[in-house]
Amino acid sequence: MVLIHIEPSSSIPIYTQLTHQLIILIAQGQLKAGDTLPSVRSLASDLGMNMHTVNKSYHELEKKGLIQIVPKSGAVINPIPRDGIAEVHRLRIVEELEPIIAEAIALGMTSEGIETLTSTIISTLKEES
Amino acid sequence: MTLTIFLVMIAFIIIMQASIPFLLKKTLAFGVTIPEGYTDHKTVTASKKAYSAICLLLGTVALLGYAIWANQPVLSEEHIVLIGLGIQFGILLISMVLYLYFHAKITRLKRSQNWGSDLKQVRIADLAIRSKDEMLPTALYALPIVITIGLIAYTATQYGNMPDLIPTHWGPNGQPDAFSEKTPFSVVALLLILLVMQGMMLGIHALTKQSGIKLNAAKSKTSQIQQLSFRKYTSWFLFMTSFLITILFGFLQLVTIHEGLGNEVIMLAFPLGFLFVILIATAVYAFKVGQGGSRIDVLVEDESAPGITDVDDDQYWKAGVFYVNKNDPSIFVEKRFGVGWTINFGNPIGYLILFGPILLIIAISLLL
Repeated sequence: MVLIHIEPSSSIPIYTQLTHQLIILIAQGQLKAGDTLPSVRSLASDLGMNMHTVNKSYHELEKKGLIQIVPKSGAVINPIPRDGIAEVHRLRIVEELEPIIAEAIALGMTSEGIETLTSTIISTLKEES
Repeated sequence: MTLTIFLVMIAFIIIMQASIPFLLKKTLAFGVTIPEGYTDHKTVTASKKAYSAICLLLGTVALLGYAIWANQPVLSEEHIVLIGLGIQFGILLISMVLYLYFHAKITRLKRSQNWGSDLKQVRIADLAIRSKDEMLPTALYALPIVITIGLIAYTATQYGNMPDLIPTHWGPNGQPDAFSEKTPFSVVALLLILLVMQGMMLGIHALTKQSGIKLNAAKSKTSQIQQLSFRKYTSWFLFMTSFLITILFGFLQLVTIHEGLGNEVIMLAFPLGFLFVILIATAVYAFKVGQGGSRIDVLVEDESAPGITDVDDDQYWKAGVFYVNKNDPSIFVEKRFGVGWTINFGNPIGYLILFGPILLIIAISLLL
């Protein structure tokens, strides 16, 4: 079972929850290159949510370069590049990560603390795969 | 004969109505979502028992009263039919009133005691589930339609030999009791009605296949097995119904064309056999599969995941029976009180698939 958990009452928007979980599943290897995601209609029906929400999430993933939306076959997972991350995506991740790290420092987290946390997160993702 | 048929039907309706609370998932009672941990609350279990007991008791009284009353020799068959139908509706009405009473009661209790406020509501979906779905292929439902089209073509070739009066209604003894004049339309009207019904079943099948597979967040594995079984057996049941109706209507049509084909015994046996098989199949389906597969035995039942419960979507269920949710793309959803599917009234296609065929059948009957 490749499960998606959505908490409708959470303060995180539903489409963000869905996007995050799909990214985690790809990072863990539970979703592999060439796997197709369910159609927008069927995933929206299974979750009892609006089709636009799922659609928005799929397009977000496509923009991030994680999936490719192929007419007729649906949303296909892209392979993890062997020669490392593309420059454009690296820049985006730096931009997104910076305020979070800044927030951690501002709240008193040490450099070691941040580094330990990062490696813990990485090993948890690998463990669950 | 008529009386026996009605007695069996009434007894069947009583048993089915009285059993409903026990054919459902434990997280649903009288159309109200019951959060994990409250499913065995004493008011919930007592309400289910009270509902069934009252249904059984009133039903049995009505059934016995009917059986005794109908034994008077002066009664015409029409009387027996009319009162028999009245009793069937009466039982449905009583169970509806009881349902509404308990629905209101459980809703009030849940609200006043804040059930589930300490639990996190989670909705889950399995990305790989569609590949495990075993509902029949939609193309299979086209097979009975092909048979009907073949029968229409055959009727056209036999038009000259057909009688001047075409039967349009059959009595409980299987003999025709209403006729229309022979026209190119009236000779195939029965087959057209059959075609509409087959088309409706094909549509229902195609749309239920698209509908959401809703898993229970606290019991993902168990609910997955139950959901998949429910979908599989529901599609089998629907296909069997489509197939049996085709046999029955096709037989009636052939008897109209070739009058010598059906003697009295066969004419009686066909509709009765049809009714009998449908009743048995319904009972087996309801008690073996249950609503949403709730009565399917799961080899290893998973433990309830702590701290979480299914999403409470009571707000979309008017009176606990009518589902109105514009966001949900599912056109058919599982009933909350009863066995089978109901439509999402928030989606106009649902109305079309339900009322379109009924209007078409009425139109065909009026044109005769």
